[in-house]
Amino acid sequence: MVSIFTKIYLCGILAVALLAPALSYAQDSVIDALKRQMSEMQATMRKMAERIEQLEKEKVTSSVKIEQVEKSVKAVQSAPSALNPAIGMAIDATAEHRAKAGGDFNFRTAEIGISASIDPYARGYAFFTGSKEGVEVEEAAMVTTALPWNLQARAGRFFADFGRMAKFHPHEYAFVNTPLALERMVGGESKADGVEINYLFPTPFFLRATFGGYNKIGAENDRLDDTKSRSWSRFTYLGRLNTYFDLTDNHSIELGSSLAYTPSVRLSDTLGGSRSLSGVDLTYRYQPLGSALYQGFTWGSELFVNSERKPLAIEVPSIDDPSILETSIVGKRRRSVGGYSYGELKLNRNWSTGFLFDYAPSIDSPAKKTLGYSPYLTWNLSEFNRLRFQYSYFDDKIRAEKNERGNQFFLQWTTVLGSHTHGFRTR
Amino acid sequence: MKSNRRIFLKFLLLGGFLFGFQTNLYAQQIRVITTTPELADITKQIGKELVDVESLTRGVEFMHAVPVKPSFVPKLNRADILVEMGMDLEISWLPALLEVANNSKILPGQLGNIDCSVGISVLEVPRTVDRSEGDVHPKGNPHYNLDPLSGKIIVRNIADGLSRNYPQHKAVFEKNLNAYLGELDKAIARWQGIAAPLKGVKIVTYHVEWSYFANRFGLQQIGMIELKPGIEPTPNHLVALAQKIQQEKVQLIIYGAQSDRYPRQLAGQTGANVVRLQSIAGGSPETDTYIKFIDYNLRSLLAAVKKG
Repeated sequence: MVSIFTKIYLCGILAVALLAPALSYAQDSVIDALKRQMSEMQATMRKMAERIEQLEKEKVTSSVKIEQVEKSVKAVQSAPSALNPAIGMAIDATAEHRAKAGGDFNFRTAEIGISASIDPYARGYAFFTGSKEGVEVEEAAMVTTALPWNLQARAGRFFADFGRMAKFHPHEYAFVNTPLALERMVGGESKADGVEINYLFPTPFFLRATFGGYNKIGAENDRLDDTKSRSWSRFTYLGRLNTYFDLTDNHSIELGSSLAYTPSVRLSDTLGGSRSLSGVDLTYRYQPLGSALYQGFTWGSELFVNSERKPLAIEVPSIDDPSILETSIVGKRRRSVGGYSYGELKLNRNWSTGFLFDYAPSIDSPAKKTLGYSPYLTWNLSEFNRLRFQYSYFDDKIRAEKNERGNQFFLQWTTVLGSHTHGFRTR
Repeated sequence: MKSNRRIFLKFLLLGGFLFGFQTNLYAQQIRVITTTPELADITKQIGKELVDVESLTRGVEFMHAVPVKPSFVPKLNRADILVEMGMDLEISWLPALLEVANNSKILPGQLGNIDCSVGISVLEVPRTVDRSEGDVHPKGNPHYNLDPLSGKIIVRNIADGLSRNYPQHKAVFEKNLNAYLGELDKAIARWQGIAAPLKGVKIVTYHVEWSYFANRFGLQQIGMIELKPGIEPTPNHLVALAQKIQQEKVQLIIYGAQSDRYPRQLAGQTGANVVRLQSIAGGSPETDTYIKFIDYNLRSLLAAVKKG
């Protein structure tokens, strides 16, 4: 009789004998799987280690780069030239043909401009111009930056705040030449030696007043010799009011009114009198905010009224013999009105076109006038490199200058090197 | 007659009171002018009711060609604080306005001038500062506002700047700063999650505005429509770029405030998708806050990638 325990024991042996290979196989496959996972993990870890190493390297490289940049910044900051002013240059040249005067390669200007802060209270700037006429200091002025009560003072040689275009250097015009009206009535740029005070009104809109006193105003103004001391009545005094309104986000109007008054302009020992030059300037701008790079239109106009005593040759009977007429020079007050108007349309980012109309009287004989018509086309290769073609026709009744008569053609090339800006006034 | 005079006097007193109250209200607020709408939004988030903020630009402008409007001058004149992006982003218009604004306390380097670029990890600092390389920025690419992590530095700079000027309100600014940073962090985590499909996407951009954005979200910049920064492309450059777009399998052509003429022309030649993004906030109601602005750009890109 085999006991129940013996049966169970034999069954157990049989079961172990039958299942052992299967268990062993299962164990092997688990081990294999674990091995696989292990090797996968090792590979992943290896990759991660490599990535960490790479990132460390990149980090080192970037910190080296940052160190290099920091070093170069420190080097620049500590260099003896670190406090040098910003410097730039504008070069302006034209090829010209005038029907009555012939052709010319006209080296108009090479203008060096420098500017910098002077101290916490002032900044300074200067423009030196070299041209066919020689080298001159066109502007060299100090401007306050921290005066109270919304005041700003300027002194030295600078372009007086008369009108709009008189404060532009010629290479910044929208067209090639200085408008004849500006040249004859103001004397080109409003170059002046003197002092000027600006006041910004505390209004929600832009309103600015200028008061100034100068030896004289006008680069080409030869009425006064500004190298000599003289009575204060023979200086020029200026007042200007300038305002601006946004009509919409894209349209705006700017309006200015100026008066330059010289109490006494002595033409000769016996002749003289006051001179007043007044001007009104109006600028309309269309500058679509979202596409100002490609579109825009500017219409700018200025009207000048000049009133001064000018010498007039008259024939009077001789004191010795009344039957004989003698030429005598007398002073007679002349009032002349002139101006210009131009429109400029931006065609795209590089091209623009416009038209300038000029209405320029003779200061000595205001009835005689020159009318100018100048279409032009501008190609801005970049912000700092510009080509312009202009045709001008001058209907001249004065007949004093060959250069101001008939058909004229201009090809202008203007470039800017380095830092060169004339700031707010030439916006 | 007597009663009329009394009524008139009462009105006068009421008017005086209202005027005084209003003046007092304005006097309490810090007048902040910012150059861009996102800086205005962030300043408002930090300053809350303590600040009266206005941005000079509307958000539709190309930042290198903002018109120099004299109407900005009175705003700058009355500002207690000026917040600017810095790194010469505003160089073509802001210095000219500051020249006549007669407000020395907001001039660069002064206490009232907050330059948000301080501490930014700058990209694309030019090796040589020369105009033959186009309209280069000597201090590096100034469009860092497009990287939301740089946005956190902007936020910190504004909070620090406000605290420097008004230490009596420092606790309020810090509290608002932490709350806004928390909000921004949540948005950044969300953006990093949804931006996964942008990883490795090849792009061509009109101007070098998108480097920070591309860097953050893993886009690969293959080329630029402009010949050099600020210089319009030549026909040869466009032909070469079209070939490159095809060879490199560029998916997207990105532009901002520029004309769509060249992007569309290239897209027509190559089959790449064109997408217009905003390089500053505020151009539309969808981008009137900094967070919405980044969100808008990201979603526009994701939609373009999905399309193509």
